Amino acid sequence: MTTIDDTAAPSTAKPGARPGGKPKGPRFLVVQGTLPYRGLQLGAVLLVALLLLWASGLPAFRMGQITNVFIIAIAIAGLNLVTGYTGLLSIGHSAFFGLGAYTTGILIVKYEFAPLSTIPVAIGLCFVLGLLVGLPSLRIHGLYLALVTLAVAVSFPEIVRRAEELTGGAAGMVVRSRFLAPPEWTGLVRAERGIWMFWFSAAVLAVVMLLCRNLVRSRFGIAMRATRDNEIAAAANGISVARTKIVAFGISGAITGLAGSLFTMYMGALSPDGSFTLLKSIEFITGLVLGGVATQIGPLVGAFAVVFLPYLTASYTEGPLAGVVFGIVLIVIVFLMPEGIVGRVGILARKVVHIVPADHPRLGRADREGPPEPARAEQ
Amino acid sequence: MELFLERLITGLTNGSIYALLALALVVVFRGTGTLNFAQGELALFTTFFAWWLTTESIPVWIAIIASLIAGFVLGALIERLLIRPVQRRNDMAVLIVALGLFTGLNSLAGLIWGSETKIMPSPFPNGIDDFVSVGGARLYFDALGVVGALVALMIVLTLLFRYTRVGLHMRAVADNAESATLAGVRTSRILAIGWGLSGAIGALAGVLVTPLSPQQLGLTSMFHVFIAASAAALFGGLDSLTGAVVGGITIGVLEAMLTGYVSFIGGSLQQTSALFIIVAILFLRPNGLFGTKRLVRV
Repeated sequence: MTTIDDTAAPSTAKPGARPGGKPKGPRFLVVQGTLPYRGLQLGAVLLVALLLLWASGLPAFRMGQITNVFIIAIAIAGLNLVTGYTGLLSIGHSAFFGLGAYTTGILIVKYEFAPLSTIPVAIGLCFVLGLLVGLPSLRIHGLYLALVTLAVAVSFPEIVRRAEELTGGAAGMVVRSRFLAPPEWTGLVRAERGIWMFWFSAAVLAVVMLLCRNLVRSRFGIAMRATRDNEIAAAANGISVARTKIVAFGISGAITGLAGSLFTMYMGALSPDGSFTLLKSIEFITGLVLGGVATQIGPLVGAFAVVFLPYLTASYTEGPLAGVVFGIVLIVIVFLMPEGIVGRVGILARKVVHIVPADHPRLGRADREGPPEPARAEQ
Repeated sequence: MELFLERLITGLTNGSIYALLALALVVVFRGTGTLNFAQGELALFTTFFAWWLTTESIPVWIAIIASLIAGFVLGALIERLLIRPVQRRNDMAVLIVALGLFTGLNSLAGLIWGSETKIMPSPFPNGIDDFVSVGGARLYFDALGVVGALVALMIVLTLLFRYTRVGLHMRAVADNAESATLAGVRTSRILAIGWGLSGAIGALAGVLVTPLSPQQLGLTSMFHVFIAASAAALFGGLDSLTGAVVGGITIGVLEAMLTGYVSFIGGSLQQTSALFIIVAILFLRPNGLFGTKRLVRV
């Protein structure tokens, strides 16, 4: 899965295009659409399925942690669209996460919605908020735009605290577990909510990752990357830069809001100062950079890192020392692996297996190719 | 009228603190072109250091000077060891290093000095009776001292940038680092001095704000100040010293007035409303009030 080529064109059927007699380079060259490629894809899917099965047998606490990882990964995947692929730094994604979470919470508690039916509402609201946050990008650029997202992040907890009748204010809000029972068709009882949330989050994450992959390869995705890499050149080529940025913010916000919605179902309790402050945004950005900016599975790897690193550092050390170690680990990773974990693994893997599209112009010399996706964001 | 004056004074005092930290951010931005996310926590760390010195029965003024020096050294070291190696790569790397420092410095302060709230002595007389009456409003000396410190710092910085060799070099590097290097400016040293300077300014902001703030000195003391200061720096245009001061004071006064007069906002939405007014103004002036417009060559 790591080696799926990002710049892939739709793989036209061109069987047996294996080149021979390369002097050096990757040991195996796999062409998209051929049998070995399909085999690799199938193997990856099987491996993921096996890992999921193994994880679902873990004790409830571990399984809960992994569910949390999936939810954070969805949120980071949303952030990746706007920060990784469109190059707009957002420090306001905690607000989307929170808006999604509170939408679900309020609809369940006050209006007795079924948990699953709140998801479209949460996605819709976060999409609209995303468009609104993206709107200033018509005039405001760079770090100044980051200030707009900062304003959103800082104001969200304040607004939640203020809108007390709806949100429960500073005291927070509890969603009773009888509201959060798994739907009947799953055949699970209320006590098995952990298993239900585990599989449900995993499924949603898979869908989100697939959607993001397709979006990035689509015409709109190309527009996003062009906007990131060179705004003026993109505009000169007929891309509506403002529209691209605004819509990217909308989609990104919607996905992170979806994660928030799942978070409510997973936690069952919300408080404005718990998970929806600026620190959550920082956690998302950290995860994104650790995993690999503008990579397909970077968000998942990054989510694992930000969820488990604090536990890991806390298990060897105590209290504030854990924070110090976390900070040091962060800096060390930036120094040693600037491409992020996925970017680094991808570079290593390319030395062994290189996957190229079937209509690659220089198929015979594919080893001369650099990494297909410069894992960098411009700002 | 009295109430208005008192609110104005509160706003000016808080605004001066924001302006101080915003100045630190601007000095870094002019040199390095990034927003230093760890600026607030750096100030927190040096303030803890100053507090620790005062508990060792060192006079508060000497403790403050020591914390300024510590801020300078820390800032310069961070630039040299952590920022410069990743700077060439991209902005995102610098950002993550700053976030790492943000968490690391905060926890380090907690690790060394404990997380319970400390009481930092004020360098100015701050008893109940230490005030002068202005039109019926009480103007406390410690608030006056903060405003005075801001004015003094502005004068020092202006003199530094205008009339000294180092200041000239700093302006040259900010304007065009490559040309400055070709003209014989030792760019790397100037950058380190810039970060050191901003570390020292941040330290000053820290020791001045904590005796005034109701939360005193805790691990979260500087967070709100940092948010307001970064908003102030952006509002003023990121590369303008005047802009940072105007921005800081605007935010301070806006916060105080909105809290006082708009009952809907009250004490709970002050940051939100101040930030949104700034976003609205940025809409009209996308590069901040005093920022230079960057021309892009195609």
